[in-house]
Parts: sequence; structure tokens; C-alpha cells
Amino acid sequence: MSTHKTLTFAFMDPPFESERTVTFFRLLDAALERGAHVRIFAYEGAVGLSFARQAAHGNAVHNRDLDSEKHPLTREWIASLQHKAAAKGLTFEWINCGLCVDERGVNEVIDGCGRGGPPDLWRYATEAFNTLTIGTR
Amino acid sequence: MKALQVIDQAFRTTTEEQDDAILWLTRSMRGAGGDLMVLLKGHAVHYAVLTGRQPPLTLGNWQQQQPAELHRDISGLVESGVAVYAVEEDLIERGLARLPLQGGVQAIPRTRIPALYEQADQVWHW
Amino acid sequence: MSDYLFIQSQDPFTEIATTSQYQLATQLSQAGNSVTVLLVQNGVVPARRNARSEAFDQLLQSGVTVIADDFSLHQREIADSDLKDNIAVTSIHKVIDAMLAGHKVIWN
Repeated sequence: MSTHKTLTFAFMDPPFESERTVTFFRLLDAALERGAHVRIFAYEGAVGLSFARQAAHGNAVHNRDLDSEKHPLTREWIASLQHKAAAKGLTFEWINCGLCVDERGVNEVIDGCGRGGPPDLWRYATEAFNTLTIGTR
Repeated sequence: MKALQVIDQAFRTTTEEQDDAILWLTRSMRGAGGDLMVLLKGHAVHYAVLTGRQPPLTLGNWQQQQPAELHRDISGLVESGVAVYAVEEDLIERGLARLPLQGGVQAIPRTRIPALYEQADQVWHW
Repeated sequence: MSDYLFIQSQDPFTEIATTSQYQLATQLSQAGNSVTVLLVQNGVVPARRNARSEAFDQLLQSGVTVIADDFSLHQREIADSDLKDNIAVTSIHKVIDAMLAGHKVIWN
């Protein structure tokens, strides 16, 4: 079902700390599946999701080295969704709250992720067909 | 578009960020013209009754200089035209019901929350 | 009147606020709104047959539509046949469908 409507999502959790992060990315993937343009406002810890310097590692407890562990990285999840959107002719925009980026020192982000602030969330929300916010705990 | 901000946690970011992350976000969006309402529930009802600045944190020889002023954040929202509500039962449960509410904050019973949800075009639960 | 979808990630065993979240869903339904609760993450835990949550069981009897995320169920090895009655299994796409239909979609 291709609708070309735009959906906005706001999220707060960093990588590796919460099941909410996985659900959030599943929702983004589902939104693209349903033919929606997607806009994300990453707030607080969520600005770490696009950090370019995330690095995979092996796991001795799993008895797997770097190559075989294939450790998930959220920056790769974002990149994968960017590619999926492009392949479907959809837009996938990601803005990190700039002050949140500064205080966490995660200024190096992957391509396609930008910097902004709360007015951008309001803009994203008012321009979108619908918005979902997922807070943290 | 009118968006209701539902806040049910408190003191989670107030020391490190020197404000509540969602109250701050709401004030910023209001500054950008956002049409917003705020519902304080759960522990967030504390924000409706605080009167002073948060205590400064001291760690080693590091001393906090600008602790959060949550009472001013609430009054700032009210003055900017954002309706702020606090859930009565949550105030009562926490022993806060006899404390004066911040000016302009309206206490509402849980039974009125559905009407508030209906009033908003979108409900953003943080 | 509106259509609501609550994405219920909180559960009554660890978050006491969950009970009032269930009650709000019920109140909105009783007020004439169409209300669906999608259980995700640990929100699916009270959905397992023989799980003990009076509040959740009341939600199931309330007229609110309760559905459960297949991935969350699979993670917890809750088969369809392990679910309490009146709970349908669905995919996370249900959230997007609701958003695209203009429903009020709210994360708990």
C-alpha cells in the first residue's frame, strides 16, 4: 500500500540499553514497508544511534570473533533503512538534537543524518500526517 | 495542530541537564509557535508543587553552578500560554495534595483525562 | 470520537502505572472511542495463559481490542495457543496502519 504520506517519529533511547530501541527501528522499517516517507527527531540518548564511530567487536563468551559475531550497530540499521527508502523512492530524514549531540560528544554521524533542535521536531510534526513519540524510562 | 505532552516521570534528567528534558522541549517548541498542552501525571506531578531551585550536586571538587529551576520552567510554560494540568489522584497518592499548585496549573481528576486526550489532535506520551 | 492505538510496552508486573494505563484505555472506549491496545515487549507478558494480572484480565473484558506483537511473543516463546482468549496476534505494521489512518497512536 503506497500512500506517500509522511510520518514523524521522536525517540530518546541510546543504542544497546533498551528494548525500545529495537521496537523503534522495527517501526521505521514497517513505515517504509507501508510506503510512508519517514522523518526522525532523535532526542537525548537517541543521538548516539547515528554515531559514525560505533564499532563491532568479537565475543569470547560466544566464542565468536569480530567477523563471525556480526555485532549489530544502530548506525548500520540507519544506513540500511536509508537504502531501503531510496530504493522505494521514499524519503528518510534524520535530525539529531544538536545540544544533545554536543553534550554527548557524538558529533561524528553517518551521512544522511543532520543536526537541529526542538523547532525541527515541531516542524516535522506539523508537516507530517501523523507523529509518534517514544519516551525513555 | 494541538499536541498534548504527557509527562509521567520526574527528576530523571534534572541534575545532568539542569532541567526536565520534556518540559524544556515543550518550552522550546512553544517558542517556535507550537500549540501545546502539558499533562503531569505519575511522579511528574511533583513539578506542579515545587517551589525552589533544585539542590546543587557536588562531586569531588566539582560543584554544580546552575541547578534546575523546575518551578520557573512550569511558570514559564503557563505564562507562554501552555495549559498545564496535574492529575489529582497522583498528587494525593504522593502526599502532595495539600501543597499549593504552581500558579496556573490545573488539577484534574483521572476521569477527565479522556476529555483532554480528545481535545488534542495528537497525544505525545514521553 | 476518535480512534486510539496504545502501544503498550509497560507491563503490570514491573510498572504499577500500567494499571491506570489499562483503565484509561477502557475509559476512552466507554466514552465511545474506538480503542486498540497493542502489546509489545514485556507488555505481552500478562497475555500468556495463566499469567496473573487482574487489571489485564479486566482490560480483556472491557471492550477494548487487545492485540499482541508477533516478534515480542516469539522472543518470549509465547505461542498463539498460549495466549489468553480475545487476543489476536499481529505485526508491528499495525502501528503504521493506524498512523496512516490518522488514529491517535500513543506509546505507553
